[in-house]
Amino acid sequence: MSKVFTKELVDDLADKLLIGLSSEENAMVLDEFEAIDANIDLINEIDGIKDAEPMTHCLDDFVYELREDVAVDSVPIEDLLANSDDTEDREIVVPKVVG
Amino acid sequence: MKYMDKSIEELHEMLVKGDVTSDELVKESLERSHEIQDKCNAFVTILDDAKGCEVTDNLLSGIPYGVKDNYSTKGILSTGSSNTLKDYVPFFDATAIVNLNKAGAIKVNKTAMDEFGMGGTGTTGHTGVQLNPWDRTRICAGSSSGSAAAVAAGVYPYALGSDTGDSIRKPAAYCGIVGYKPTYGMISRYGLFPFASSLDHCGVLTRSVRDAAIVVNTMKGIDPNDMTSWDSSKMDLLGSCTGDVKGMKLCYVKEICDIENYPNASHELKEHLENFKKTIELARNIGMEVDEVSVDRKLLNAVFSVYRVIHSAEATSNMSNLTGIIFGPRGEGDNYIDMIKDHRTKGFSPLIKRRFVIGSYVLQKENQERYFKNAQRARRMIVDTWKNLYKKYDAVLCPVGVGPAKKFTELDLKQDINTMSLDEHLQVGNFGGFPSITIPNGFVSNLPVGINITGNCYEDEKVLNIAYALESAMDYKGQVVKEVK
Repeated sequence: MSKVFTKELVDDLADKLLIGLSSEENAMVLDEFEAIDANIDLINEIDGIKDAEPMTHCLDDFVYELREDVAVDSVPIEDLLANSDDTEDREIVVPKVVG
Repeated sequence: MKYMDKSIEELHEMLVKGDVTSDELVKESLERSHEIQDKCNAFVTILDDAKGCEVTDNLLSGIPYGVKDNYSTKGILSTGSSNTLKDYVPFFDATAIVNLNKAGAIKVNKTAMDEFGMGGTGTTGHTGVQLNPWDRTRICAGSSSGSAAAVAAGVYPYALGSDTGDSIRKPAAYCGIVGYKPTYGMISRYGLFPFASSLDHCGVLTRSVRDAAIVVNTMKGIDPNDMTSWDSSKMDLLGSCTGDVKGMKLCYVKEICDIENYPNASHELKEHLENFKKTIELARNIGMEVDEVSVDRKLLNAVFSVYRVIHSAEATSNMSNLTGIIFGPRGEGDNYIDMIKDHRTKGFSPLIKRRFVIGSYVLQKENQERYFKNAQRARRMIVDTWKNLYKKYDAVLCPVGVGPAKKFTELDLKQDINTMSLDEHLQVGNFGGFPSITIPNGFVSNLPVGINITGNCYEDEKVLNIAYALESAMDYKGQVVKEVK
C-alpha cells in the first residue's frame, strides 16, 4: 500500500536527524520518496518475497575470533583532541547541558 | 610524460635497472597532478613534499599512487570530500594504507570523490566537480571520480577507490581504465570512512588487470581491526593471470543485455550493446563458452530500490557521529543541539541530506517491514539468483552503464526507467560481495566504454584471469589520455 508523503513529514524526519532542509531540498526528498515507494510496491509483488530471509550482510560465513586478552597501548589523548575546534586541557568544551 | 603512462611492472624494472629513480617518478607524478588538477579538479590534496624511497623486490616500492579521500591517512587531510570533515586529519592509517606503506608505495595525492562515496557523478564533493579527461564536458561517474580521472590521465599507474554500489567499476568504464573490487572483506575496511557497511568494499583503479592484481595482492589480508576480513594469504592474484581460460563458462543476462529490451535506444546505447556482443564473440574465440540466460525482470527492476533503501539506512546510522563536536568544524548555536544541527545543515550536500532522511524513514519501526526488511529480502533473492548462475557458470558478463560517460548537461534528466537495470546492475556485486572487475572494451562516440566480469565470492583468481584473457585479446590495455583538452 503506497503512503502519502508530505512536506511536514520530511521536515519532521530531518529535524530528528538534526538536519535543516531548504524548500528545494525538501521537494527533492519528496520526489525520491515517491519513486522508491512505487518501486517498493513492485518488490512486494515478487513471488516468494515474504518467505525470503532478510539478507543483512554480503557473506554468511564470517569467522569470529576473540582477540587475546592483552592490553594494548591506547591512543594519546592529544591525538584524539587534535581534530576538535574547542578543547581545554584534556577535555572537549561544549555549552553547559544541565542547569 | 616519460614514465607515468607505464605499468607497475615496467616501472619496477626500470627502477631496478637504474634507468630511473623513485625521486624522478615522484617528481613527474606531482607535476602531472598539478596539471590534471587544473584541468579536471581531481584532487583534494596534492602532497608536494612526497619523496622517493628505496627500491626493494616489492613491485610497488618507489612508485607513486593516489588515495581516495575517504581512506584515513595519518597526518594527512582526509575529508571524504565533505565540508563536515574539511579540516579532519586522522591520527592513524587505514589498514590498506599500512600494507601499501610496508611495500614502499608512495602516496602523492588524495583524490576527490562524491561526498562520502554517496553519488555516482563526481559532482557532489566539497571541492567541486571532477571533469572526465577524455572529454571535459562529461562526468567521470563516481564516487571514485578523482581516482579514475587521475589514472586515466597518467598521473600514476594506480589509485585507490571504494565501491558501495559501483563506485570503482563505473568510473573505470567512463574513463577507459580497469576498476576492481575484490570479494567483500578481502581488503580490510578499517580506516575507510564507513558509508554502508554491508555493501562497502575497498579496491583499486589501474590501467591493466595485472596492475590491479599486484595492488590488491598488497592491500589485502586478514585484519584484527575488521572482523569481516578473512585470510586470503593463499590467494595469488597476480599468479592467477595466466590467460588460460579454455573451457570456462560465462553467461550474460538477456533482460539486461539484449537490445530488444530498449525499443527507444539511443544511438550510443545501440553501439554500446553491439560492442558488447563483439566482446562476447571474442570470449568465444579465445576458448570460453558464453550462454545467454534469463533472470526474472521483477528482481532486476528491484535492484535500484533495494540499493537505495539499504544504503540510505546504513548511511544515516553510520554518519550520526558527524556532529562537529569531537571532530569537524564546530557549528554555531547556544546549546549543543543547535551546534550539531548547524554543523550538519551547512556541512552536508543536498544529496546526502536526502539519503539520510530516506534512511531514517525506512528504519522507523512502523516502516521497517515494508521498506527495509523487504529490501533485505529482495537482496537475498537477487543474490541467490546470481549464486545459482555460479553453479553453472564461472562468471557473469555485462556491459557497464548505458554507453559512454554522460555529459554534465544530461545529469538533470530523470533516470530512464527502461534502462535502469542496465545502469544499476553492478550493485548486485555489492549485494553479494562478489569479486567484480571492469575493463575497457572499446569506444562509442570516441569515448571509452567498459565491460564487467563478476564471479562468485572467493573466486577472485578466476575472475581476474578471465579479465586478463579478455584484456589480452583486445587493444585497450594501458591506455592513457596523453593530452587533456
